[in-house]
Amino acid sequence: MNMTPTYSEIQETLNSADFEGLPSLNISVLRTVMLESIEPYVRYQALQMGHNASVQFGEYDNIFQEAVGGRLDLLNPKTDVVLVFMGLESLSWELSRNFASMTPQAVGDEVNRIQEYMETVLAGIRRQTSGMIIWHGLETPLYPALGIVDSQVETGQLATISKLNAHLRAALASTPNSFFLNMDFCRADVGSRNFYDLRYWHIGRAPYTLEGVSAIAFEQAKFIRPLKGKNKKCLVLDCDNTIWGGIIGEDGLNGIKLAKTHPGSSFFEFQQEVVNLYNRGIIIALCSKNNEADVWEVFEKHPDMVLKKEHIATAQINWQDKAANLRQIALDLNIGLDSLVFMDDSDFEVNLVREQLPEVEAVHMPKKTPVLYRDILAGGGWFDTLTFSVEDRNRGAMYRAEAGRKELKAQATDMASYYQSLEMVIQTERANEFSIPRISQQTQKTNQFNLTTRRYSEADIADLAASDTSEVLFLSLKDKFGDSGIVGTCILHFKDNEAIFDSFLLSCRVLGRNVENVFITQALQVAKDRGCTRAIGEYFATPKNAQVDSFYALQGFEELSADGSGADKRFAYDLGQSLPEPPDFFESITFI
Amino acid sequence: MKERAYRVIANVMNVPAESIDDNSSPDTIEEWDSIKHMNLILALEQEFSIQFEDEQIADMLSAELVIETLKELGIQ
Repeated sequence: MNMTPTYSEIQETLNSADFEGLPSLNISVLRTVMLESIEPYVRYQALQMGHNASVQFGEYDNIFQEAVGGRLDLLNPKTDVVLVFMGLESLSWELSRNFASMTPQAVGDEVNRIQEYMETVLAGIRRQTSGMIIWHGLETPLYPALGIVDSQVETGQLATISKLNAHLRAALASTPNSFFLNMDFCRADVGSRNFYDLRYWHIGRAPYTLEGVSAIAFEQAKFIRPLKGKNKKCLVLDCDNTIWGGIIGEDGLNGIKLAKTHPGSSFFEFQQEVVNLYNRGIIIALCSKNNEADVWEVFEKHPDMVLKKEHIATAQINWQDKAANLRQIALDLNIGLDSLVFMDDSDFEVNLVREQLPEVEAVHMPKKTPVLYRDILAGGGWFDTLTFSVEDRNRGAMYRAEAGRKELKAQATDMASYYQSLEMVIQTERANEFSIPRISQQTQKTNQFNLTTRRYSEADIADLAASDTSEVLFLSLKDKFGDSGIVGTCILHFKDNEAIFDSFLLSCRVLGRNVENVFITQALQVAKDRGCTRAIGEYFATPKNAQVDSFYALQGFEELSADGSGADKRFAYDLGQSLPEPPDFFESITFI
Repeated sequence: MKERAYRVIANVMNVPAESIDDNSSPDTIEEWDSIKHMNLILALEQEFSIQFEDEQIADMLSAELVIETLKELGIQ
């Protein structure tokens, strides 16, 4: 739901905001109508994402010249986003306002002409900039040309416009970084009477009200957020009066409101929407002040819980303050606080989080009107992504698998039998063109189990992999719960019979499974095979990697005195000795 | 009401609120062009939950006329 403030309030916010240091966002508008009033809304949405947007308008109804003829100050390599508003009135007065007079032949000719025109404009924009194109689709007429018959026939105005939109959508889909924005959504959200301003349509060819342009800017933000990596990844939910009505500790399992019928149906539908997000790859977590056993009892025993324990990636159910708990959730999931949306019915908790963790999107749920809950979640647009892949669909399963592992761990009587029951398969390889992007990404993102925290681009990794004096190894892991993909990276440098561990890092979600022991032994074997006599491991301390400060010592390395290299600790391993055998609880360990 | 209207004018034109008086108009405020005028009208309508007639819109070309028109529409 669009909760944007009024025009005057937004102007005030923008006039007094401190844009110093915010990354820029260059937005260009190509249009056949006047819509200058959208500018503050676009800039306001960008400011919410931490960007300083500048909006530049093309000339009124001059799209073709600007897109095809070129206009360097409007469309250039620095353009981040191009907004295209091409109204049917200016494309074809005949189709938009004089449709009833047209023969099917004339309609067909006009459709072909417009399709070609739009394709030419699209290609023209793409030639000048690789920035994101957001094309605002044609609006469905409120009063179709043939009246009620129009909805019955395939030759009507409605069907014709829908055909043009379908064609446009296909053209955009086959052009990189180009997207179709459905204007009918924006109009439906505010209602057509609030969307159009006929006075200004006649006075100055400005069709939309402030509410209208606000709704359009809100919709655009759903595209720009993922473009800038600002889309949210995890939904954190309070329990009492958020996922069910009432307080479980007081009202009990039979007293809370949760049912297919009123008044519990608000919560039932809200939970269904949470599960929809789960199925789109959004991580779901709980953060509530309850007795933990009470909450899980509802999950296990309440017949109308749509949300199940297996949907929950992690939970902080305790009496500590929620800011601390949200920090812990981000840590557990190894994601940033700015990836979280937190929903709670308590003003106190929401304000606390807004104050202490401004990077978290804290959403206040109006306890007195839970009928709105579903729309608040579904209409927020925080989680939208530009694509939806198989991996997205599986992400929920990946986190669920992690929950399954934790459960199995709780059941297993000793660790070895737990590890064995996981049926873990390790495969280690040298970097190749397919793995380089993920390896680079891992060096960029891994903070905790990372001995040196050196960040490398894809080009860096490719250079290292091709070099004679270094090796880039990566480790993949799968088990009975799923494939974790590439979870470990090791970079070795070789110099004078010594192998130096330039980087050694593992994804946090596989820790505690002895994978690191196997990986380091494999790396030492590589060094030994090259004839090295000694391996050197270094530890560079950061605020986040304290857990690995004795990693090398635990692996049987001897600590050396520090030298001038800047490392906080240095260790050496004598490769003259025989290397340890890997633990026997892995299903298989291969090195290719 | 006058204060609220002045604040909206100041916000839309991005000038200090103190600089607005009855005589403020496109002649005294450089930023007050035809596009800003339209934005001002829309912002005033939103602020006071009213609708101007299209002819009023064209006539309201000073702070004083804005206030008068608002009064005509029953805003006190």
